[in-house]
Amino acid sequence: MNAIVFDPGRYRPVGRRSPQVAVRSVSAPAPSPTQGFAELIAAIAQRGDRGAFAILFGHFAPRVKSYMLRLGAEPLLAEELAQETLLAVWRRAASFDPAKAAPSTWVFTIARNLRIDVARRDRRGQPAEDPSDAPDAEPTPDDALVALQSEGRVRQALLALPAEQAEVVRLSFFSDQPHSEIAAALNLPLGTVKSRLRLAMGRLRDLLGDLA
Amino acid sequence: MTQPTRHPSPETLLDFARGALEPGRSLVLRAHLGACAACRAEVRLGEAVGGALLSELEPAEMALDALDKALAAIERPAAAPSAADLRGPGDWIRVPHDVLAAFERRKRWAAPGVWVAPVSRNRKTGARSYLLGIGPGIAVPRHSHKGIEMTCVLKGAFEDHGDIHGPGDFSETDESIEHQPRVTKDGECVCLVAADNALVARDFIGWIMQPLVRI
Repeated sequence: MNAIVFDPGRYRPVGRRSPQVAVRSVSAPAPSPTQGFAELIAAIAQRGDRGAFAILFGHFAPRVKSYMLRLGAEPLLAEELAQETLLAVWRRAASFDPAKAAPSTWVFTIARNLRIDVARRDRRGQPAEDPSDAPDAEPTPDDALVALQSEGRVRQALLALPAEQAEVVRLSFFSDQPHSEIAAALNLPLGTVKSRLRLAMGRLRDLLGDLA
Repeated sequence: MTQPTRHPSPETLLDFARGALEPGRSLVLRAHLGACAACRAEVRLGEAVGGALLSELEPAEMALDALDKALAAIERPAAAPSAADLRGPGDWIRVPHDVLAAFERRKRWAAPGVWVAPVSRNRKTGARSYLLGIGPGIAVPRHSHKGIEMTCVLKGAFEDHGDIHGPGDFSETDESIEHQPRVTKDGECVCLVAADNALVARDFIGWIMQPLVRI
């Protein structure tokens, strides 16, 4: 697919701080996936930094749209959901806690919840709850173990999975079908899909738990 | 806080993480997650996988004015939320807002010592979730289920086939299971339940479904 290469320097943020922000965004090296994005989210929370937002938008909006398309959303809706997700990133920047989740994980949960929300709205014709209303207790030591995982580590762990396990993990995240449908699509018994998923998650837990 | 001892299956936790759990079931799962650090960690692991997979995706082309539109829509970021998202009456484990709202607005008595509060209903599939409050020592009539039923104990405890289910405990039952839970003698038990369909009940229908079908 031919994606637009996003250039944050093209966009002159409107606002008091714009010139510096714009210049800095252009010259700054592409943020390393976890650290840099976390700092950009913090810059939004602390200063309402529109330049930081533009960079996050450039990275995440096209991927969220891609995620929505994979899950069967019409292109217009996928675009809208990508917009909404990034607007939520702006609004809720202050509630992002880098000790609890990698930026990509946080954005993923926002996108996932918005999608569910839209489906509910369609069905019930009612405004849905705030998608931020997710399980969120004080982090415990147990939580922290997994939460500290950087995205890079998770990706490496995914690469370390046997191919057939990685395949069912990918398929299940880019589908909202029950596992029985995934099994049918792969022409596999349901039990096989379930056991591959269990093995995969167990392996990921082992790999990532040790790295924490 | 004491941790629950009965947990959702790994598939259910993964379904929640990937956004494929029916909304009523999600509410029940979230009640459990609020009480269970181990399952929260498992869901976070699943979400981290989702995040990593999101980053790997081939970017889709956004509209040319997408960022301009977004920049025009943003104002000030909201302040950090101060209170926890989940809460409940003092003696419950914490629950999602929807559940508490249902309790406050839709609680009705179904039988002596038994109340029901419908929480959600999926018009397409007929799936429902509801709160069920049962007084001390009361036994629910023997019944089985059509499809899957998920339950989380919010307060008190019930006994089923010799096992005690206490606060935060989660159970999934399917049609193969016929059960007759009984609330323990020490106090009322409140459960959040998500059922796929109308319960396949023998004497259960008149007992509990009547107030539910009126919603």
